[in-house]
Amino acid sequence: MTRCPKPEMWVRYAAGELADRPRRALQTHLESCDACRREVRDLARGLEAMESLEREPALRPEMLDTLHRRLRVAAANRSTRPRVITLVARYGWAAAAAAVLVVALVLNLPKPTVPAALPGNHQAESLQEVAAAIELLRVADNGTTPLPPQNLFPADRQNELDLLLELDDAGLLLDYFMSQDKLQG
Amino acid sequence: MALRDKDSDAQERQLAAYAPRVYGLLVRMVGNRDTAEDLTQETLLRAFRAFETYRPEGKFRAWIFRIARNAARDWLRRRPLEPALGFDADWLEAAPASPRRQSRPEDRLLHGERASKVEAALRRLPAPDREILLLRYYGELAFNDIAKVTGEPLGTVLARAHRALKKMAELVPEEEP
Repeated sequence: MTRCPKPEMWVRYAAGELADRPRRALQTHLESCDACRREVRDLARGLEAMESLEREPALRPEMLDTLHRRLRVAAANRSTRPRVITLVARYGWAAAAAAVLVVALVLNLPKPTVPAALPGNHQAESLQEVAAAIELLRVADNGTTPLPPQNLFPADRQNELDLLLELDDAGLLLDYFMSQDKLQG
Repeated sequence: MALRDKDSDAQERQLAAYAPRVYGLLVRMVGNRDTAEDLTQETLLRAFRAFETYRPEGKFRAWIFRIARNAARDWLRRRPLEPALGFDADWLEAAPASPRRQSRPEDRLLHGERASKVEAALRRLPAPDREILLLRYYGELAFNDIAKVTGEPLGTVLARAHRALKKMAELVPEEEP
């Protein structure tokens, strides 16, 4: 009898996620191994148990109405988004980085540390660099005073910011900073 | 009347179609129907707002479920109190049986009993293990995709799935033929 494969391999087998060749090799092993047959039977039973749950549970009509209403409001707001967000959303971080440089030159600001690539490419050196770039964009767009660094990440909105960073989405991150602007008046 | 963007209409329909499955995941992650409804809306709104920047590098479904999973995780981190059991008793009410399963009263009864045993077994799993099974079932995601959603190595995801499936097999009696 061949050596028993790792349990994790049987998970993929039971779930039907293996390519033909490894699947056939495991089948051959199963023919001569009681322990692995029991293992696969248990895993298949676990998977089968989940099938008892309704995959698409019915939702309350009121909840669906609210969802559609909120989506329509969000769609309407798209057309009124600040121009800088639309541009950055459309052309990506290359536009943002270019804009930061232009703003810095025009306003004769100290040269900002512009990240070589921003979060969409997972190469930003630090969140602070991203924040600094966005802050300059916002200042340019609104004519407001730059926020001190500690105000860029207020503790009471840290969870929200963490989530946005996990989402790794430039548009949402910019929305966050624009809403910061509104909160700060 | 304001003109509506055709893209927005299509995106709205596309996202709304995910609402039941996203809700199914969330209600079992947060254990509370009202919260799950709120988080379902938040998830789909976030996805809608992010549509402009969405790059189809992976599966769209995995992207949606990643947003949902992170929203639930964020809520669980922020919630004020750790509930003893943490789950409402209305999961089953929130998940009525499909018409196929409702065809005969005895089928409905059997299905209801079994589903409640599955619900109870799920609640006994550690949250990270339960999450893997839920992402697989509601998102219909392969383990590779689940690893991307949770940000864990594939080996960790498979080890969690193995532990969770064995526990489910132990806790849920075999279905009558």
